[in-house]
Amino acid sequence: MAAIRHESILGLDNIRLDLPVASVGSRSLAAFLDYLILIVLMFLWLLLSALIGAFLSSAWMPVILIVGLFLLNWGYFAGFEIATGGRTPGKMALRLRVVTAEGGSPGAGALLMRNLIRAIDLIFGVPMMAIDPLARRLGDRLAGTLVVHDRGREAAPVLGRIPPGWGARELAVVEAFLARARSLENTAESWQMADHILDRIRADAPELLAGIDTRRDPVAALRQALQVEDA
Amino acid sequence: MDYARFVRLRRPVWEAFEAQLAAGRDRWRSFGYRELEEMALRYRQVLHDHALAAARFPGTAVAQRLQTLALEGTHRLTGERRQRGGLLRFFTHTFPRAFQRQLGVTGFAVALFLLATFWGLAIATLRPALGITMLGPEALQGLEEGELWTDSLVTTVPPSISSSGIATNNISVALSAWSGGVLAGLVPLYVILLNGLMLGSIFGVTLHYSMAGELLEFISAHGPLELTLVVVSAAGGLAIGRSLVAAGDKPRALAVREAGRDALAVLLGCVPWFVPLALTEVFVSPSPQLPVSLKVTLGLALESLFLFMAFRPVPAEATDDRA
Repeated sequence: MAAIRHESILGLDNIRLDLPVASVGSRSLAAFLDYLILIVLMFLWLLLSALIGAFLSSAWMPVILIVGLFLLNWGYFAGFEIATGGRTPGKMALRLRVVTAEGGSPGAGALLMRNLIRAIDLIFGVPMMAIDPLARRLGDRLAGTLVVHDRGREAAPVLGRIPPGWGARELAVVEAFLARARSLENTAESWQMADHILDRIRADAPELLAGIDTRRDPVAALRQALQVEDA
Repeated sequence: MDYARFVRLRRPVWEAFEAQLAAGRDRWRSFGYRELEEMALRYRQVLHDHALAAARFPGTAVAQRLQTLALEGTHRLTGERRQRGGLLRFFTHTFPRAFQRQLGVTGFAVALFLLATFWGLAIATLRPALGITMLGPEALQGLEEGELWTDSLVTTVPPSISSSGIATNNISVALSAWSGGVLAGLVPLYVILLNGLMLGSIFGVTLHYSMAGELLEFISAHGPLELTLVVVSAAGGLAIGRSLVAAGDKPRALAVREAGRDALAVLLGCVPWFVPLALTEVFVSPSPQLPVSLKVTLGLALESLFLFMAFRPVPAEATDDRA
């Protein structure tokens, strides 16, 4: 899995925030999905108009068709983004959302603006996103918006007891291992890794392993020794 | 502070902030002052904890959790101010203010349009053959038989269809002229010059066939405002283009955003007018029963109403209410 590109901005009190910027690939895929949905919606509208024409009013059928297609064409993206706070169905599928350049929620004006430029961005957008570190197309530059990954928070193991001398690097490695240990298919390998960490604990703080059986399930023993909690 | 102690001490704040964010998802507006104040305080605490975790414990689960929480809080608590007062306030305050701020570039667009119109008129008067090629052979045949091509536009299809077609087409032209401003203003420039040139040359040709009176009668009800709206929307595009090409003493990104906001307000103030105009074009303009004076009066009234809305004096506010 490719790493998500982060771009730093300064938030309140000049605190650095790293925005997980969506790059040209995921954005193009989301746009592709949206255009597929748009085509389906237009086709459905065509069918609905034909049904109205056949059963209700043939005089108003072309009006409903023309106005509906016009609104879908110009309003699909802006409408969804305004209604959902920066998401279209394509963006939802890829877990992306539009934010302001400061990481806040964009207003209706900005969302409308970035989507009015969409027709022009069909030509210029992709190269512009590819060369810009913030992957902004023309519409984003005009509206002052960005598209970011919208990863929800998942419970992750947090160490409750730390052997003396351990720094952030050790903590990060152990927590990352414990987060992945459950999903590793090869139990022997994960046990081997857990054994290595237990050896290190044995050397640094043997009292943490007092009364813990490390032979039966090293991963469980590791969680017990470090008082790991999923939070 | 060690990692475990940091987590133990600060976790209640993070969880309370998370709970408030989750609660706010459904009932944001029902939050009282106290809840909002608490939330603002916790947001700040979360930001500071995030800064500390990012510096002292980078890569850990807690640093990642705080990063996500800080971003979520920033997204939910900061952002663009919502417009107050809805549609009425937009048309009575935001639109005229934006229009008046953009007056210089609108004046330039009008001057360009008039120049192109006179140019088209001059070409069609001095070289009628050139003007005729712009209208096409069918329109020419009609003119030779004493009929305007506009008659067939609105009589061969039911009025409901032609009015919706005209409205959506005109709105599309205005939107394209506006959005094309991001291409250094070239698209709105093209739209303004083309419309002026076409209008001038059509007049020139109809003058040649002594049909200018009929054409004036046809466009008198809807034409003035329709052309005004297209030129004003295109002027918004020109303003965006100008900010891109010559940002002045502001950073380009800021200049473009400011120009874009005003231009959007102007565009949104123009678009709804196309609907009554299309109805006028279909039901009033071609009607032989209605007197010319009524059509002219209606055209002037629509134009005056729009200009009154646009030039309406609006008191300057301390806080900006751009769209």
